[in-house]
Amino acid sequence: MKYEAVIGLEIHVQLNAATKLFCDCPNRPGDEPNRNICPVCLWLPGVFPQLSREALEKGVLACLALNCVIQPESAFDQKVYYYPDLPKGYQLSQHHKPLARNGWVDIVAADGQVKRLRIHHVHLEEDVAKLLHETEGRTPISLVDFNRAGTPLIEIVSEPDMRDPHDAMEYIKALRDQLRYTGSAECSLEQGTLRVDANVSLRPLGSKALNTKVEIKNMNAIRNVGDAIAYEITRQTECLEKGEPIVMHTRLWDPEKKVTTPMRAKFEGPCVPDPSVARIVIDDAWLEAVRQRLPEMPAHKAARFMDAYALTAEEAAAVSAERDLSEFFEAVVAHALPPRKVAGWIAGQLFSALKERNRSVGETRLTAARFAELLNLVEREVINTQAAREVLIRLLDSDAPLEEIVEKGGFRQISDTTDLEALVQRVLADHPADVQDFRNGNPKVLGFLMGQAMKTSQGKANPKLLKEMLAKRLG
Amino acid sequence: MPDLFTYRNSLPEQPGADGPLSGMRVAVQPNLSVNGWPCNAGSHALAGYTALADATTVARLTRSGAVLIGSSHMAELGFGLADDTIIQIIADGRAELALITDTMGEARVAASGAGLFGFKPSYGLISRCGLMGLVPSMECIGLVAADPARIGRALAVMAGSDPDDPSMPDDCAAGFSADLPPITAQPTAGIVAEWLEGLNAAERSAFESSLARLDAMGIATRQVNLAPSGLFRDAHQVIAAVEASSSAGKYDGVRYGHRSASGKNWNEMYLNTRAESFGPLIKPFLFQGAYFQFENYSAFENACRIRGRLMRAVTDLLAQVDMLVLPTRRPAHDPGRATTIEETYDAFGLALPANLTGHPVLQVPDPTLAAGTDLGLQLIGRRLDDARLLSIGRQMSSIAGEGC
Ligand SMILES: [Zn+2]
Repeated sequence: MKYEAVIGLEIHVQLNAATKLFCDCPNRPGDEPNRNICPVCLWLPGVFPQLSREALEKGVLACLALNCVIQPESAFDQKVYYYPDLPKGYQLSQHHKPLARNGWVDIVAADGQVKRLRIHHVHLEEDVAKLLHETEGRTPISLVDFNRAGTPLIEIVSEPDMRDPHDAMEYIKALRDQLRYTGSAECSLEQGTLRVDANVSLRPLGSKALNTKVEIKNMNAIRNVGDAIAYEITRQTECLEKGEPIVMHTRLWDPEKKVTTPMRAKFEGPCVPDPSVARIVIDDAWLEAVRQRLPEMPAHKAARFMDAYALTAEEAAAVSAERDLSEFFEAVVAHALPPRKVAGWIAGQLFSALKERNRSVGETRLTAARFAELLNLVEREVINTQAAREVLIRLLDSDAPLEEIVEKGGFRQISDTTDLEALVQRVLADHPADVQDFRNGNPKVLGFLMGQAMKTSQGKANPKLLKEMLAKRLG
Repeated sequence: MPDLFTYRNSLPEQPGADGPLSGMRVAVQPNLSVNGWPCNAGSHALAGYTALADATTVARLTRSGAVLIGSSHMAELGFGLADDTIIQIIADGRAELALITDTMGEARVAASGAGLFGFKPSYGLISRCGLMGLVPSMECIGLVAADPARIGRALAVMAGSDPDDPSMPDDCAAGFSADLPPITAQPTAGIVAEWLEGLNAAERSAFESSLARLDAMGIATRQVNLAPSGLFRDAHQVIAAVEASSSAGKYDGVRYGHRSASGKNWNEMYLNTRAESFGPLIKPFLFQGAYFQFENYSAFENACRIRGRLMRAVTDLLAQVDMLVLPTRRPAHDPGRATTIEETYDAFGLALPANLTGHPVLQVPDPTLAAGTDLGLQLIGRRLDDARLLSIGRQMSSIAGEGC
């Protein structure tokens, strides 16, 4: 029998509000343990949680970015479970009345078609404390760090619309890109500011049934989510083929061994409304004011880039995935440079240079004007592409005039025919066998000799001229 | 005689600040936070816990000149009045005002047993910040004193919006005026027939004779009908047990209070701590709540729906009459001796409807009756009509003073 996977994701996203959800403690879980605490987030008796306005605004902005309907009224419940990271015995979460419902994101499915994935609801909740297990020493001890207790989260619960690992990974990427655009969350699986739980079940292809699902946790990269779901689909298929029933349980992804293993689930009880936490009532004027702050979303921007700048779909998607780079792109294009060339440079060179250094463009010295100036040098063939890449790296940390960087670094392109002629002579003299090879009818050798010549010039030769002269000499 | 206090202010004679309550001595239960005072809410789970700040109400009282003299013994987490000594502190004349957490009627029932006025304000009128509660949707700081005007003066200081308690409803922001209004138009009172069904003949006649004072004031009474009192009790019990079971989770006994020495891992340590911390009355109550929460949640949801209907029904009745009157307690049911949940609910059966609906209610003592048969008289008023109830109470006490 052929099976179809039914996948739903529950995603926790940490909002980057300055304070925790219900108190004024700094929202910096990574600080020295138990530094950012107060009676409210230690959950001591007699104190009342006070909802942070900023967290609410960022949560609403995030929901709007996911096309959700903000509920006029939402409220917090006590979600009961016992675990030492939650010593008060319940987590404040919105169970009965979530902040927002009925959202969606669009992705490009594996078959190349645009697919709309629905979001069931988004709710606000407080994070729990963090356990540190010290296993060294005679007696193993568990320590509790309350810095994370009470930090603001949204939980985004999808409909079970995903059918394969590709869908799930694209969904997370789309969600991440859109939330980052709003500036309300960092959304990094690696840093733990976005956490994914995947629910996976199988059904015979063509069936509409929703069968027993298995939950997978502990995936800290988007790739891991895809791998874990793929593993789980294979595992469940094998179970069904062997006639073993699927039982509802939770499994942990092991990124080393690339398998999921069953874990003991936390006991989760029902939710009781908490009358001690103020209800959230959102009026239209306030909501409209927040909506005004919603930037143009990546998909919309990509479409506009294709339209306005004649970018291809891939180019447009690449330069619009991150808000700051997309704005940088438009600022550079404004300097009358060919848009597709700019897009190529940003999506290729700049993007990877920033990624390698783990910085955003705003965290460098690079400005749109200087980037445009650099591309102009390339356009005017003052420097070649290879040199421009080097100069770009320097511009990330330098305010020195571009001319100075080019001159001092010896990046200026050699376009002097006498110099190039000498270079060609030398390369041909150094590789007589290859020259012979070419003359015997192997055209591929030209590329090799070009490479040798560029290398000898330390990358500074004008490649167009060089190639012309080389071909002439050989011919 | 055992000490009435769990903690005594070491500087009780120090005159308070100048203010409207200057010199008023106030006793509290140890579930109301007073900075630096032990605050164990009568529970082993909070043994040795010291309050980190003043409750908003405490800060407002002391700023207005009241002096806190100490805290009493109390029933565990304020569930009932077993072992509570606060009323004795007032009866002995050591304090003029007692603050008693009223979840099922504790302030009123305690007051009626001692011939005092007991008042539970409209739900949300007084900040709960600093109150170590158990049933957040029903509990309220109750005020007990010999004189309703004194209750009114204290309430004026305590009531009104508090940024530290964002759960207070908007309609309570303005607070409460100390000047009790004169009673102009003749108020009317309703007697809910269904609420009197369980009374015996002696109790009925005691109640009827206590209505004489209303007559004397020209307050006309008439019979009205409502759901049976058992429905109020059942809804109260299910909701209160669930809220208690959920919210008592934070009294973990591990970070403060009693921590069990046994258990081979953290999980067992937590379980043992809770098992050893809670007493024989509160524990089954928490179990009951856990049962509804985990095994029969729809019963809890039904109870919430019933509560909503009852709130509307009482509010509708109070549009026809100015108040509802009923006895406060049945003398056969001594809350101080209640050892089971059922006995506890028996002791508060007449008092708990107002907690369920959140309406303000005043217990008026009846000094004209022989000792032992004083049932007390409850006046349940319209939401935020707290001042008028206290005015009526004051007038009733002056009639009693004339030897009516
Ligand atoms: Zn805090």
